[in-house]
Amino acid sequence: MIHRTRLVIAASAGACALALGVSSPALAEQQDQAMVSVFHGIPGMTVDVYANGDELVGDFKPGTVTDPKSLDAGTYDIQIFEAGQSPDGTPALQKKIEVPEGANATVAAHLSADGKPELTAFTNDVSQVEAGKSRLTVRHVAAAPAVDVRAGGQPVFTDLTNPKEDTAEVDAGTLNTDVVLAGTDTVAIGPADLKLAEGTSNVVYAWGSADDKNLALATQTFSGMASSPRGVPAGGSGAAVATNSADLGPAWAAGAGAVAVAGVLVARRVVRRRG
Amino acid sequence: MLAAAALAAVLGFPARPSQPAEPAPDFTTAPYGRTAGAAAEEAPPPAQAPPPRRVLLPDVGVDARVAPVGVTDRGDLAVPDDPSVAGWYRYGPAPGSVAGSAVLVGHVDSDTGAIGEFAGLYDVRRGDRVEVRRAGADPVRYRVLSRVTVPKEELPPSAFRRTGVPVLTLITCAPPFVPERGGYLSNLVVTAEPVESGRAQWPT
Repeated sequence: MIHRTRLVIAASAGACALALGVSSPALAEQQDQAMVSVFHGIPGMTVDVYANGDELVGDFKPGTVTDPKSLDAGTYDIQIFEAGQSPDGTPALQKKIEVPEGANATVAAHLSADGKPELTAFTNDVSQVEAGKSRLTVRHVAAAPAVDVRAGGQPVFTDLTNPKEDTAEVDAGTLNTDVVLAGTDTVAIGPADLKLAEGTSNVVYAWGSADDKNLALATQTFSGMASSPRGVPAGGSGAAVATNSADLGPAWAAGAGAVAVAGVLVARRVVRRRG
Repeated sequence: MLAAAALAAVLGFPARPSQPAEPAPDFTTAPYGRTAGAAAEEAPPPAQAPPPRRVLLPDVGVDARVAPVGVTDRGDLAVPDDPSVAGWYRYGPAPGSVAGSAVLVGHVDSDTGAIGEFAGLYDVRRGDRVEVRRAGADPVRYRVLSRVTVPKEELPPSAFRRTGVPVLTLITCAPPFVPERGGYLSNLVVTAEPVESGRAQWPT
């Protein structure tokens, strides 16, 4: 992959720059990595993305997101040029991005609420998701006013403004979503089916421009966040251990009726616990 | 009067928690969870194997229908209410998948007092045969590697791993049985490894 080769160059350049900034070169070797991806949400403009002067992504089309790449943690000077333009010129966009150790970040090139191109760094929550759940994050990076995000007609996130995000763990499965102007039923984007696999983290970018009528959704998925169920309640009445009930002594043997009632009590407790 | 007797019966339990009827001792070939595969974490999820339909352990007389299960509202594994039915944890690998632990779970007994099909797991021994029949695919065969009894709160996370070498994990409940603490306090966990598909017979 061309991108990978370019990325390695960028990463080593980053490491060198950082090494200059610390007192001992040995410290640089201890630097942890960070995972970085890039989202392009500026309509109508194919771009090249540079990090510290080296090309990170080339011919990057709007509405796409790169796979996460491992980079040395540190500060990156991110520059966006229109595709094919010399990186010696003035970039269309430029911003210094801090990438902390161990972070998983997405740098988004997008429009502000009033339609100006800008760069925003988001931290991706890739912590474990509860068994049976999926994490849904929505980032408002569109030239549009505040919105609500609905699933099955019910609001999941409300009053989300550019460039904010909101996140929730939802039941894994397919979610029928749409984006409406905040507090209204006026659909701005969608409806769209989101397939949210169990144990994954799904980031949805609402991008584009309301004025230009090109609002759209783009999704970035991170996997490997599955966790175990809390427990395995695979027992009931205790009948499977009742074969040696004589061990329990005369008090136990005294009344079969008492046993039955106790069994019912236990059953009720178990049912409540499961509830 | 009856209520008082019931109370006495319930209170009478903790002093003498029930013990299993002399089951064979647990056995392992290696520390449980040795195969937890952090190295494979980056690997993309493999294509899903077909769902299991039936699980058989002929050496201990287990033969249970298998239904897919997920989790309850409180995050527990959703075990089928019917103790004659085993649940397959559908968010994890299916038996026959190339990686990870395929989990089948069954009640040892039901709230109504019926003995569960998976109660037979109390008697398994190393090398016992396991067959999982599937929808639209050949059966997958395993042989038992280990059986451990663990407190419920210490169920090894490796039982639910999605990567690493493929195994079949069978789980049910195990004594002690303490009603006022919710019933069974332990899980019985049987791990089985796939028998190479080239062999027509189970190894003896």
